[in-house]
Amino acid sequence: MSSPILEVKGVSKTFGNVKALDSVDFFLQKGIVHGLLGENGAGKSSLMNVLSGIYLPESGTIKIKNQNIQKMNPDIASSFGVGMVHQEFRLIESFTIKDNLTLSKANIFSDNFEEAYEKYSEIFTLNSSYLTPINELSVGEKQKVEIMKLIFKNSEIMLLDEPTAVLTPQETLQLKESLDKLSQEDDKTIVLITHKLKEIKDFTERIFVMKNGKMVAKNLETKKVTDQELIELMMGEVRTSNFKKDNKKGDVKLEVKDISLTNSEQFKSLEDISFTIQSGEILGVAGVSGNGQVELANVICGIEKEFQGRVLINSQDVSKKGVKSRKKLSLSYIPENRLGVGLAPGVSVLDNSAIKEYFKASYGPHLSKGKMLGYLNDLIKQFAIKAPDVKAEISTLSGGNMQKLLMGRELISNPEVIVAAQPTRGLDVSAVEAIHKLIINQRDKGSAVLLISEDLDELFKLSDRIIVLYEGKVVKEVGIDSATIETIGYAMAGINE
Amino acid sequence: MNKYILSKKLYRNELATFYSFLIGFLIALAVGSLILFIQEKNPFDVFSLMLKLSIGSVNSLSNSLNKAIPLILAGLGISIINSVKLWNIGAEGQIFMGAIALNFVYINTSINNSQIYILLLLVSGFLGGAFCILFPAITKVLFGVNEIITTLLTNYIVFGLTIYLINGAWKDPASLNFPAAAYVSESVYLPTVLGKLSSGFLICILFTLIAYYIKDKSVFGYEMRIAGGSELTAIYAGISAKQKAFFAMLIGGGFAGLAGAIELLSQTHRVSTGISQGFGYTAIIVAAITGMRPIGIFLVGCLFGALTIGGSVIQTIGVSSYIAEIIQATTLFGALVAQFFFSYEILKKDEND
Repeated sequence: MSSPILEVKGVSKTFGNVKALDSVDFFLQKGIVHGLLGENGAGKSSLMNVLSGIYLPESGTIKIKNQNIQKMNPDIASSFGVGMVHQEFRLIESFTIKDNLTLSKANIFSDNFEEAYEKYSEIFTLNSSYLTPINELSVGEKQKVEIMKLIFKNSEIMLLDEPTAVLTPQETLQLKESLDKLSQEDDKTIVLITHKLKEIKDFTERIFVMKNGKMVAKNLETKKVTDQELIELMMGEVRTSNFKKDNKKGDVKLEVKDISLTNSEQFKSLEDISFTIQSGEILGVAGVSGNGQVELANVICGIEKEFQGRVLINSQDVSKKGVKSRKKLSLSYIPENRLGVGLAPGVSVLDNSAIKEYFKASYGPHLSKGKMLGYLNDLIKQFAIKAPDVKAEISTLSGGNMQKLLMGRELISNPEVIVAAQPTRGLDVSAVEAIHKLIINQRDKGSAVLLISEDLDELFKLSDRIIVLYEGKVVKEVGIDSATIETIGYAMAGINE
Repeated sequence: MNKYILSKKLYRNELATFYSFLIGFLIALAVGSLILFIQEKNPFDVFSLMLKLSIGSVNSLSNSLNKAIPLILAGLGISIINSVKLWNIGAEGQIFMGAIALNFVYINTSINNSQIYILLLLVSGFLGGAFCILFPAITKVLFGVNEIITTLLTNYIVFGLTIYLINGAWKDPASLNFPAAAYVSESVYLPTVLGKLSSGFLICILFTLIAYYIKDKSVFGYEMRIAGGSELTAIYAGISAKQKAFFAMLIGGGFAGLAGAIELLSQTHRVSTGISQGFGYTAIIVAAITGMRPIGIFLVGCLFGALTIGGSVIQTIGVSSYIAEIIQATTLFGALVAQFFFSYEILKKDEND
């Protein structure tokens, strides 16, 4: 094997207390397509940001084309031919395709642009004139322009961060063909970052797997590795539950019938979803983010109104009811987006603590500050929230205390139905433990809980049953006793056994 | 290598806005002194004369407070609209529209009981101001059109309408070459309460308390705060952020319209271009300096009223009245810079962090 075109050794990067990259080794061979696999938060994007010079690592060496690079920055990365396509497009919407492609000072096709455009638009099957403004293109076409931008600035090493997330199945197939051509004909080195197993198997020759900031498998040969091996590497060991699952179940509290949701671009984000949750039961929803979890929670809680199907709380049809009337029927929602949805940034701790039931502190148009304060003091005591100044902005609280305030606010009234989305994301171990106890405690009090999480440990630890969402459909439903990491992992990756 | 970064302070001093105002005002006095010094005037003499002629007697004090009325009312309106984090640059137009609406109702109705009539006219002024901001409110809520642009542009439309009316349909033949509408009857003048002080000032105190109540003590104010903090949180809480924005704008516009009505009934007594002398714009300064707090708006409004009167009287000793405007504008500038340093701190940061 020839020496690698790019080689990274022992790279580490920490953000606060989180080790995003923990002594990572990584290398690329010229002219082939590599896959970088891992769950959300495994460190894939951080590693790519180090390679493209956006993050400066604390330790480790980076070697490109046999040259040691002391202090990487985006300019140096670019001059060594490293280019990256980010998940959010970086195109100037009102400019034409040509303007966007030739914007870089490193543009190599300034003299023979038309010729080059003809060649590459054919490779990418992009059927638009280069005078078309970007904002007239579809998402898939924009993606093609983004990748072409790298070619036009002569990037030899192309890092593509989740490029298929926005593509239709046909477009994904086209992308595979284009990337094959680029690697074979133009000798480009390509890295495809994804958490989709099927794509990594289809697209790549070599696979690297990351988990929790560590590189757990290097340079696997795609043809020789099995799906099961990859899933085990990606998900790791699941610790067994330490909560008792002998909870008593009662009546059905939440019923969801044939829910479908079609967005404005005729894309089905939810399709025929049905399930029930009994009192005293936790139903876990597994799935890679972006497979309909947020939409499902919004439909159940009344935020999303344009859906088909029915939602029943305590056998009462609430499909046409708004957020407030569902809350009065004892529904609580802990949204995935803590600050921005669950809590209003720039507003005081006190005001945020009352969002669920502020109307209970009102007499007609008058709002009683005294009542709000009393309610907040109950929350602070009961849920052990550290809030030094309740009149200060909510952002003065730590992440864990914010989440405790949010959970406490939603749970203190002892709701019958709870929808909790990613309740422990980004929290440290002790906060996670506290939140888990709150959820179990609520289960034992007889609440029906819908727990949406990407963290399989959490789902196995808390749930009584698990359903798996994939592309807006329930592709698997299992009781916790018969669930295994493999079956859930397969379903999350969209593979039918 | 060290980098310096700006970081938002988590805890702000409760009195930060007040201190910022003081700092801004002192800077403004210094700048004003410098300009006077260049003009070879003794700043101390000029300022003490301004002080004497603006608050030195019952008459001058009532003049100052009369000037404060439109500043305070329009400023309160701006602060209510800012509860949902929107900016009303159209108070000037709303003031004129309040006066126009009042005159329209006055021409077309007749009520013998002058107290009831005055009340009706004041209400029409309020509604006129609300009507003036109706179109910016609708376009904001339905299409997300930037309210700063639309409220600013309505100023020009309303000013054009005023010119049209006082030169055409409403032109008073008796006013000869000065275009203006006919005077309203003396029976609907707002009575004075102390010296020349208009009873409009009492209305002003009442509305300061109303604005304070709406913003700080009411359910509507709470819902506006949440909607202003994050539209997504509002939707999550079952609060219609758009509805709150819509009503906040109408109420805020109404406050400015009321200012126009009071100005007409107590000062100009007719529709003319003199209904407002930029009160709607100065009100933005007043509201911004106080961090949108109603009680602060009341106090700074009174100060700015006095400054305006003081500025106009010092012309008699050959000093331009612009000195007052320079002080007002520099106070805003200084106060905003000071507020910035109360809200942010500069931290030294190692590059590897």
